Amino acid sequence: MTLPRGRPLTLLAAAIVVVNGFFPAVWILLTSLKSEAELVSKPITWWPRDPTLANYVQAFTDQPLLRYLGNSLAVAVLSTILSLVVAALAAYAIARLNLRHRQLILTCIVASSMFPLVTLLVPIFQTMRSLGLLNTYTALVLPYTVLNLPVCTLVLVSFFQSIPRDLENAAMIDGCTRLGALWRVVVPLAAPGVFTAGILAFVNAWDEFLLALSLNASASMRTLPVGITLYQGEFTFPWPIISAALVVAIVPVAVLIAVFQERVVGGLTQGGLKG
Amino acid sequence: MAGASLIERLRDPSETALGVLLLAPAFLLLALIVVYPIGTLIFNSFFDLRLSGGSGMKFVGLENYLLVLEDADFWNATWNTVLITLITVPGALVAGLGLALLANLPFRRQWPVRLALLLPWALPLAFAGLIFAWFFHTEYGVVNDVVRRLGFGSEPTMWLLRPGWAFAAICLTIVWKTSSFMALILLAGLQMIPRSLYEAAQVDGATRWQQFWQITIPMLMPSIIVALIFRTITALQTFDIPYTMTKGGPGNATETLAMLIHKTTIDYLDVGYGSTLAVFMFVLSLAVTTVYLRRIGRQA
Repeated sequence: MTLPRGRPLTLLAAAIVVVNGFFPAVWILLTSLKSEAELVSKPITWWPRDPTLANYVQAFTDQPLLRYLGNSLAVAVLSTILSLVVAALAAYAIARLNLRHRQLILTCIVASSMFPLVTLLVPIFQTMRSLGLLNTYTALVLPYTVLNLPVCTLVLVSFFQSIPRDLENAAMIDGCTRLGALWRVVVPLAAPGVFTAGILAFVNAWDEFLLALSLNASASMRTLPVGITLYQGEFTFPWPIISAALVVAIVPVAVLIAVFQERVVGGLTQGGLKG
Repeated sequence: MAGASLIERLRDPSETALGVLLLAPAFLLLALIVVYPIGTLIFNSFFDLRLSGGSGMKFVGLENYLLVLEDADFWNATWNTVLITLITVPGALVAGLGLALLANLPFRRQWPVRLALLLPWALPLAFAGLIFAWFFHTEYGVVNDVVRRLGFGSEPTMWLLRPGWAFAAICLTIVWKTSSFMALILLAGLQMIPRSLYEAAQVDGATRWQQFWQITIPMLMPSIIVALIFRTITALQTFDIPYTMTKGGPGNATETLAMLIHKTTIDYLDVGYGSTLAVFMFVLSLAVTTVYLRRIGRQA
């Protein structure tokens, strides 16, 4: 559809999309710079009168925010690596090998993401509890790996399929074994795909809340979303500190997706449209 | 190959053997985290099993199922879940389509618009809930401030403390959070529609409105259906946003099925009853997915 091409209208359209996307984050940033006194004065101010970083200092000292950050990072990185390895092996088999029922195998892996996570929560909680794994990284890394398996497999299958088979065959004619060709030819060429799938998996794991809340609730093992949600103030919910903590938690992922936005969009639509 | 040693075979296995080898880790994990838990879930739903007391497991047959059907909390949570799905899925589709159409205009710089769509997607649901809870704060929230500035209502609305308003605030938050993913999927679909179709329609004298309904929507249908399926499945599992905004309150006016299951299992440690609730949830999702897949099958 050829919509109006005039500059002012186009700019208005851009402004709507940008404000819609950025306003909540910007508002929380402004809130985090206000003093407690300013925050509870009425009518409320939009721009901080007297910007202060005191809330940030308090966010790090009141609660173990750094620890939450570390937990989130550890769980997200470990589960991303694990799901990439597992998905890459499976995707190669599906994309390249002469297997029967290839479509069925892919459907099985993707269909696993259709199961509501909350129904798996009950037995996973029970199993982790009896194995004594509650409040460990393992309790989250294993489920997150499975959570990310479908999208990683989909993205990687389509990447593997785009690599010409002749390259591999040439390597094998030159004396490489099948696995040698996989390691020396396919893996390096698929690096961009692996990277894209990795970002998607990382963001998914970073965002997960229900399992993290249920399995790792002890204060020292909380991830960022759980830790910030369960922040307790002395009397009321401490909004200034919460805002500062939210900004700290949002910035790493915001930077990640800002730098790699084209890949993220490509990966999302690939993983999505073929699902 | 008869004389090939084990090492030789490991270095260059046959297609099938290699396939099994490569697929094994994925299926092992799926068995451990999906198949085995589903089995345990169904098994436990026939038992009285509480982790809080030391009473152990007692087989109770279908008693849990009968209790669920008589449980007012269950019906309340199911109704809330269905209502949230019925409101936020079409809501996110319309908002997402609007955003996608706007974002598809020829901008000189693409990145601010693209980032504006990616940021809500990457934001954890729990954070969206917290941020919007602050927006809807009765005293210091920006929503009531805007309402006041526009001159409506002398009394500030108690958004999260009144059942109807709390429900509306939650739905609005979910629509905001999920419409950007919708928009990204639909934008990719829009960009694949060939320009020539619109040019031909213009030659034939079709208005913009006609072009939208005769070209854009039909061409976008595959993307719309995929986005709808994903959105519906996640909407049925709604947990994070009501949990962070209202904890299900006031009373249990905004409690969803996922929140009831979480409370029963994790807070009360009643695994037997929690499992039965989860079985109902499972059946609900399965039913919805099947209906969708049927419809797609018929269209294809």
